[in-house]
Amino acid sequence: MVNERMSSLPGNWNLRLKTPIGTLEIPYYFDQTTDGLHGTATSTSETVPLENLTVDATGDGSLHVTWQQKVTKPMRLNLTFEVTVTGDTMTGHSRAGRLPRTTVTGQRVDGAHTPQA
Amino acid sequence: MPGNADAGPAPTGLMRSLVPLSAQIVLFDGFDPLDVVAPFEVLAAGSDALGGELHVELVSAEGPRAVVSGTLGLSLTATSALDPNRPGYVIVPGASGPVDGDPDEGVVTIPVLLARFADSAAAPLLQRALDNPEITVATVCGGSLTLAMAGLIDGRNAVTHTLGMDVLDATGVNAIRARVVDDGDLITSGGVTSGLDLALYLLDREFGPAIARAVEDLFEYERRGTVWHPGGRIPAAS
Repeated sequence: MVNERMSSLPGNWNLRLKTPIGTLEIPYYFDQTTDGLHGTATSTSETVPLENLTVDATGDGSLHVTWQQKVTKPMRLNLTFEVTVTGDTMTGHSRAGRLPRTTVTGQRVDGAHTPQA
Repeated sequence: MPGNADAGPAPTGLMRSLVPLSAQIVLFDGFDPLDVVAPFEVLAAGSDALGGELHVELVSAEGPRAVVSGTLGLSLTATSALDPNRPGYVIVPGASGPVDGDPDEGVVTIPVLLARFADSAAAPLLQRALDNPEITVATVCGGSLTLAMAGLIDGRNAVTHTLGMDVLDATGVNAIRARVVDDGDLITSGGVTSGLDLALYLLDREFGPAIARAVEDLFEYERRGTVWHPGGRIPAAS
């Protein structure tokens, strides 16, 4: 029986985050496998695995999620993410080095739990 | 090689004096004029002092063309295509434009100009230049940030304009606060006028101090700042 109050991460999401050269819209895919939770981010030219992906329940049904990733397009950046997942919505921040952190918002994409084409 | 411990890694001047050296300064849309003209004139004057042994040229990744700078429409002409096979130097300037403003609203800020250049035909040519042991890649101001955005100098020691140091660090470069940073085959310098100090350092490093001093006298300019290179003692915590 699914606890409808507990948010879950696996599936397809669309995230928006601001970089020094404009807002990026990136499809993400999270997958629960036998060896744990994994995630990838896909841009026009690359699929990047998420590193150090951690998920904790916040006690009110939401999830606190953190990870690191590199992007190379539209520019090379090392990013750290910290977001809260509530239902089909994700809100939080990403940080690149010493730059001011920027807002991240995400929306779950309806559909089957397979990677977006 | 003659001992010259203060000038970073020993230059390969002995081998390279057998081939005429090139200094290619790369123009791109929105370049900063002074980032280009300062090293251009210093190296041109250095070439005169050497009896013409250094071939200084403005180039572009797209070949010979007029290239419009980011300052009041000033235009300079690239006379040939950037060639990553010519021994010598490839010098990358930064961009001129708004610092503030929202790229999402169409403001073409300096980071946007640099990112466009990083995504252009120049990037694979600059990669080949970095891979060529006969070429030293040098940058002024945001030129280092362009290389960093293209992923070409991951983990290297480099500097850029003060305003861009946090972005440089965020790309994975070891951002060093010094006027000129000598990382061997990559020599970077800070904002704008640092191009004067970069070019004088290149003349000193390649051809010796008498050549650099001759240009300093002609231009009534004395080099500023310390040239950083890896190694050396670390200051004690205070």
